[in-house]
Amino acid sequence: MIEPRAALRRRPGRRIYGDALIGTLLLVVIIAAALLSPWLPLPDALTNNLQEVFLPPGSPGAQGTHWLGTDQLGRDLLSRILAGTRLSLMVVVLSALIGAAIGTALGTIAGYLGGWVDALLMRLIDIQLAIPFILLILLVIALMGASLTNIIVIMGCTSWAIYARVARAKTLEIRELEYIQAVRAMGFSLPRVLFRHILPNLFTPLVVLLTLDVPRLIVLEASVGFLGMGIQPPTPTLGNLIGEGRSYMLLSQWLVLYPGLVIAALVVGCNLLGDALLRRTHTRLE
Amino acid sequence: MLNLIVNRLGQSLLVMFGVSALIFFSLHITGDPAALMMPPGSSQQEIDRFRHSMGFDRPLLWQYGHYLSGILHGDFGESLRYSQPVLALIAERLPATALLAVSALAWSSVLGLLLGIVSALRPHGPLDLLCRLLAFSGQAIPVFWLGLLMILLFSLRLQWLPSGGYGTFAALIMPAISLGAFYMSAVARLARASLLEVLQTDYIRTARAKGLSAWRIVVRHGLRNALIPVITVQGMYFASLLGGALVTEIIFSWPGIGRLAIQAIQNRDFPLVQAIVLLAALVFVAINLIIDLLYLALNPRIRL
Repeated sequence: MIEPRAALRRRPGRRIYGDALIGTLLLVVIIAAALLSPWLPLPDALTNNLQEVFLPPGSPGAQGTHWLGTDQLGRDLLSRILAGTRLSLMVVVLSALIGAAIGTALGTIAGYLGGWVDALLMRLIDIQLAIPFILLILLVIALMGASLTNIIVIMGCTSWAIYARVARAKTLEIRELEYIQAVRAMGFSLPRVLFRHILPNLFTPLVVLLTLDVPRLIVLEASVGFLGMGIQPPTPTLGNLIGEGRSYMLLSQWLVLYPGLVIAALVVGCNLLGDALLRRTHTRLE
Repeated sequence: MLNLIVNRLGQSLLVMFGVSALIFFSLHITGDPAALMMPPGSSQQEIDRFRHSMGFDRPLLWQYGHYLSGILHGDFGESLRYSQPVLALIAERLPATALLAVSALAWSSVLGLLLGIVSALRPHGPLDLLCRLLAFSGQAIPVFWLGLLMILLFSLRLQWLPSGGYGTFAALIMPAISLGAFYMSAVARLARASLLEVLQTDYIRTARAKGLSAWRIVVRHGLRNALIPVITVQGMYFASLLGGALVTEIIFSWPGIGRLAIQAIQNRDFPLVQAIVLLAALVFVAINLIIDLLYLALNPRIRL
């Protein structure tokens, strides 16, 4: 009787750790390479070299081997991808944090206070989710200009809704627990109850949600870059690399292939890690 | 029941009101919409004349009221670039986008459900692993990258399918595949998870004990209940489908609303952009309303 149950329990567990391990490895390798790229022995990401245009992957060059080939201006694709990954990840992580901060603040307050504040927040969430993200972002970029700060702020300010929804739902649960009633009876101030007694309990679901939302932002940022409306060349991002490479696709498919592969690997890594966290922490996100 | 429906309708109206306000006031965040819409290099005199002709020199609330009453009368404004009512421009492009969205939805829902069922029949078996891998990669690959890779392989190398165009079935295949891939994997994952949950219930055990075939149990008894969460989430995914259509239409030069939107944004044709965003939100709200009402009809337990 004991054996089959033990087997049942062990198998999914091992799978969770395996997924988490693969996901973490993917992310660590890519992020480490992107962060360390300025010190790696690679040709410069922004220097043109018109004698080495469209070299296929693995070709030797004046500044060193072009492991992933070169683009239409003879720039090294690998170092451009790494620089682009660094910038894209910075945009994504900062905007995810902005979205999480706004959403958590709104969701916690609305869930705790209830009443019309809560009703208002729910309608705001509906409004936010009714507009396709990419259309909204492109509209605001067209209005405000495509600077790095603008893109981060815009992506952050349009990503708060799901965090607000989860934070609100969890706060509604926690609010009814006895220890919250106890601290309320002791007359603690509203900020103190929210920050010291409710917020710490939201940490796990919000981290899981963050991990699962980052892939969406990675693809969103890349789509904006691909459409040529994001950060402008020659500064590389994962999206605008593909957008630029698209024109030379027939001649040198590596320009489109490898940046996309990095995006896919980042998304897979985050999804594996997020799913594993979700199951391991037994978090419900509705 | 009636209360619930009226309540839900009121919420939808409120959301649309909010969206219209958000879109209207977004044009005013930079301060001067007239300077924004005029081509760069216009003289101050031209800008002033344009500002007056658009009514931007009136009080903001009056402008919003004017804008709202126009919308309620079916007047969404005039395109700055094409000097035509924006509604006519949108109506012209609507069939192409509708065709693309419906074909993408059709193949992805069918295949997604099928993958989900196959996965749930033998969880953790080799077929399940294959289906989940397929579903997983659909979620990982960005729409535009998938589109470009398909063009590279099927149009440029093998020359089987056209890389763009509109009107033939061959031209529809690749856009529909790249737009539906994400959706397919979402449906597959949801269907699998929700089926696995349903298959553990008592009535399924009873059906099994009666000696019904596995397929019959899953399709007749399991799927009906497992579909409810799948349908509920469809509404949420619809917004991402609209966003994906934007990118897909650019890649395959598909003459739909997505491409119109991008061109409008690039031309700073803001009345057109406003109308497209508003219509996208309207479609989204309407679909979610229908799904909620369907949900009421399908699930007697919440009909209180």
